[in-house]
Amino acid sequence: MDTITTKLSSEEIFSLMKQFITEVIGEEFVEEMDITPESSFTKDLEMDSIEIVSFSEKIKAHFGDQIDFTGWLSSMDLDQLINLNLGMIISYIEECQS
Amino acid sequence: MPIVTVNGKSVHVQELNKEATESIVLIHGMFSNLSVYYFSIAPLLATKYHVVLYDLKSHGMSEKALTGYDLESMTNDLLALMEELKLQKVHLGGYSFGGLIALKMAIRFPERINKLAVIEAPDPNDDKTRGIIDEYSREFLEHYVENFTDTTKVKMGKRQMERNHRMYEYLFYQTSIKTDMELEKDFFDSPEIETIKKATLLLYGTDSNCLHAGKQLDGAIENASLIAVPGDHNIPIQQPLVIAEALLNFFQET
Repeated sequence: MDTITTKLSSEEIFSLMKQFITEVIGEEFVEEMDITPESSFTKDLEMDSIEIVSFSEKIKAHFGDQIDFTGWLSSMDLDQLINLNLGMIISYIEECQS
Repeated sequence: MPIVTVNGKSVHVQELNKEATESIVLIHGMFSNLSVYYFSIAPLLATKYHVVLYDLKSHGMSEKALTGYDLESMTNDLLALMEELKLQKVHLGGYSFGGLIALKMAIRFPERINKLAVIEAPDPNDDKTRGIIDEYSREFLEHYVENFTDTTKVKMGKRQMERNHRMYEYLFYQTSIKTDMELEKDFFDSPEIETIKKATLLLYGTDSNCLHAGKQLDGAIENASLIAVPGDHNIPIQQPLVIAEALLNFFQET
């Protein structure tokens, strides 16, 4: 697995997240969506839990030990998970990089 | 995505804290997938244990299969998965249909199991359980998805509805799952249930229509203890921390 060490800007993280989402749900669906940092996973992107697992795996594979993504998710309750949006993940990854 | 081949089929597996000495294998329920544990229950258990999650055949990201949904086949698959992952003896937990698989595992391969945790396993002879299979329709699906699945609080979008619909259609009309389940209807009344001697934790929702099944198992399994947790059949989603802590305490007890 590739583990990156260089620090990414929030724009770069956002574009990486979009790439992962496209890989998980498929280009045909992503084309119809306007993905922004405010997009929530369950409501706007309509991702179900197993797709979020795939997405989490991609983040873990990319960032390796730099971040504890599953640990971070496990601290959330159901409402927080449902309302999780891209911006929150971008901020979390930025925090871990600093 | 970690995939292993078990009995000729691809199985999606997730492992946490591989360095730990003792392992816990968790089995999800019908129409669900390993995500029922992935986000909160598994990470908490992984603070002490090696935790193994897998998607059952035709569920989540595991390969589809037309046949083999009876408890014997499902436990053959789990045993083969344990062989593949070189797991000699594990603590085993199962939710709903996964709870039935866990019980069968403890009956068939007691030497491979330490402790047994059963969450909301339904009595296969219960009309309501079989009703889920009999009354299936698009309308019913929408009602079911809104009320009984993992995503209890989320109104499903079109893409998700289609995806779930396709899975139900596949499982109900193309696979042997219906007939395989019907053949298991006497499972709770069979003498083999009473052969389970493992320390067994039964976790059921106080408002669940499966609670009576928990009480029945509590009576039949010598070394069982039943804990009723506030909630219904969806307690792992409604009370993930309560469930995780109950499991952790149970597996750690000496």
